[in-house]
Amino acid sequence: MKQPTFGSLLTRRDFMARSALLGAGTILTSSWAFGESEAKAVAASSSNDIQIAIVGVGAQGRILMDALLQIPNIRVRAVCDIWDYARKYAVNKLKQAGMEATGYIEIEEMLQKEKLDAVVIATPDFWHAPHTNLCLKAGLHVYCEKMMSNTVEGARSMVRTMRETGKLLQIGHQRRSNPRYMHSLFNLIQKGNLLGKMTCASAQWNRAVAEDVGFPKAYEIPAATLSRFGFKDMHQFRNWRWFRDLSGGPISDLGAHQIDIFNWYFGVRPKSLMASGGTDYYKGRQHYDNVMVVYEYPLEHGTARAFYQVQTTTSSGGGYFELFNGDQGSLQISENPRLTKVYRETTAPSWEPLVEKHYLAKSAYVAAPVEKVDSRESKPPEGFEIPVVLNKKLHQPHLENFFEVVRGKGHLNCAADHAFESEASIFPVNAAVEARKVIDLTPRCLLFKIKLKRIIYETCYFIYRTVGGLALKRASCSCQSPRF
Amino acid sequence: MKTIIQWLIEIGKNPSTLSFWLLRLWLGFRALLTGVEKFSGFKIVQEPLLDEAGNPDITGAIVVVKYKFYALGNYHGLPDSLLNTFKKEPLLHPLMLNAFITVLGPLLLLTGGCLLLGLFTRLSLYVMGLLYISLTFGLIMINQNDGVSALAVHVALCAYALHLSAHNKLEIIR
Repeated sequence: MKQPTFGSLLTRRDFMARSALLGAGTILTSSWAFGESEAKAVAASSSNDIQIAIVGVGAQGRILMDALLQIPNIRVRAVCDIWDYARKYAVNKLKQAGMEATGYIEIEEMLQKEKLDAVVIATPDFWHAPHTNLCLKAGLHVYCEKMMSNTVEGARSMVRTMRETGKLLQIGHQRRSNPRYMHSLFNLIQKGNLLGKMTCASAQWNRAVAEDVGFPKAYEIPAATLSRFGFKDMHQFRNWRWFRDLSGGPISDLGAHQIDIFNWYFGVRPKSLMASGGTDYYKGRQHYDNVMVVYEYPLEHGTARAFYQVQTTTSSGGGYFELFNGDQGSLQISENPRLTKVYRETTAPSWEPLVEKHYLAKSAYVAAPVEKVDSRESKPPEGFEIPVVLNKKLHQPHLENFFEVVRGKGHLNCAADHAFESEASIFPVNAAVEARKVIDLTPRCLLFKIKLKRIIYETCYFIYRTVGGLALKRASCSCQSPRF
Repeated sequence: MKTIIQWLIEIGKNPSTLSFWLLRLWLGFRALLTGVEKFSGFKIVQEPLLDEAGNPDITGAIVVVKYKFYALGNYHGLPDSLLNTFKKEPLLHPLMLNAFITVLGPLLLLTGGCLLLGLFTRLSLYVMGLLYISLTFGLIMINQNDGVSALAVHVALCAYALHLSAHNKLEIIR
């Protein structure tokens, strides 16, 4: 498989010139600090419109585009996709929404010709890191779909580039901006201590059997183009999620969202994982079509274990949700509001005050028949609903959060460094399945391997940028940043 | 003043009057409030979730809140689920059913109110009893035996109240 290389995408001279003009002079600073520095820059911008491009307008790109069209003052100026079929669809859809977007095959050409503020990236996983790094280095803020990359090295490079360029990088774990998820964590679990001591969790995504995705023959991409972009053939291009060199498979496609919720809600990284899985149903697919994984989370009061399963052969068993259990109550949450429920243990204090505050709503739920079948049965818990609604497209709040920070308000709900911390526990799952043993997730896997050579290089580069920036300021007081 | 006290002492010595008053109060409120509830409804509104200080919550969450309110337009003779079950019964003609659910609420209000006020006490009790019998008829059709038993108690109370109505001492029109 041909690995994507971007040495020729942007010449060093162009890159240096752009970097000098940006003059941010920030290397290895925290992502939250960027929001503040960017705020001042954006506030100086004359127009309230944010000019963006969408890179990758396949299935996920379309979903993001639909959400983007609902957000005011976002102008999609360009779309980039190697497939004519997808690109034309996106251009036409944007035209219907009153936006004249130009279609590109090559991202380098798009970056050269278009004057953009930000990009939204929804390409296959193995292109995330190259595309993101390229756009960040071109001075753009980036919203990139999860997983950050198909490799931990790729994801790490994204965090590093974000820090080097001082640009914003939001990762598309959209649940982190979902008001129901935020309310459940901040108000119910953290403020209300609704669950008491959290003792375990489980989550699942059970999806029915789905055949490989096809394509209209008339829109087949030439073999040379496919090869240039890292695909063996059209079938692989359309079904990249099942190929090991291109993606992380179902545990990454579906599990990443939900395992991220484990990490976010528990507030710590897991210390170990063990997993089992296999390619047991679909013949010819490289990735495991079912995976079960158990994480161990070191909480203050002891270890909490979290079980996750992804199934691609059945939609029964409750669909997709995350369930957190504590000694006072349990919270089952899902992007589907109908799958969201909260249960109060009969020994827990009354939740009536929370109902009065509209933090919870009463439910007609009955957990079990009144009559006991087994004498060891506990009393059934009382059911409650979470009355929070989302009157927007599912990905809209996360995109809105990104653009708010681009405008200088607040901070990113899932900046790349936070996403990386979370995704670091997902990357080893496939390896754990293969190894059939417990994997320790030491903090070492999060460390950035900075070699001495790199430190010297970055120090020299920092001096170069700072001196260059000062020289430019002296040369022309009216010199303005081309981007914000 | 002395007359009122003597009257109360006299009543206190008459358990039949006291019994009737208890029945009258219970049956009156039961019918009146049941009738009122038939004009209740819920409106569902979306409003920002507020924090302890009464400011919009930091999550920006919008919550669905259900408020109960009363209006003539909310009138429903029977709950939808029960009505749909009745509609499937061949012995309950749709015209008869519609007529019944139209008058049920107003009749409960009227009989309950009259009984409490002491207006046409015996007639009110009798009509009330007939209403409960008619409801019993419907519940027998759909095998709701628990409901039938409860209604039987209601009918028995009406009958006993009628029996004791001769001892009523506080009424406008008997």
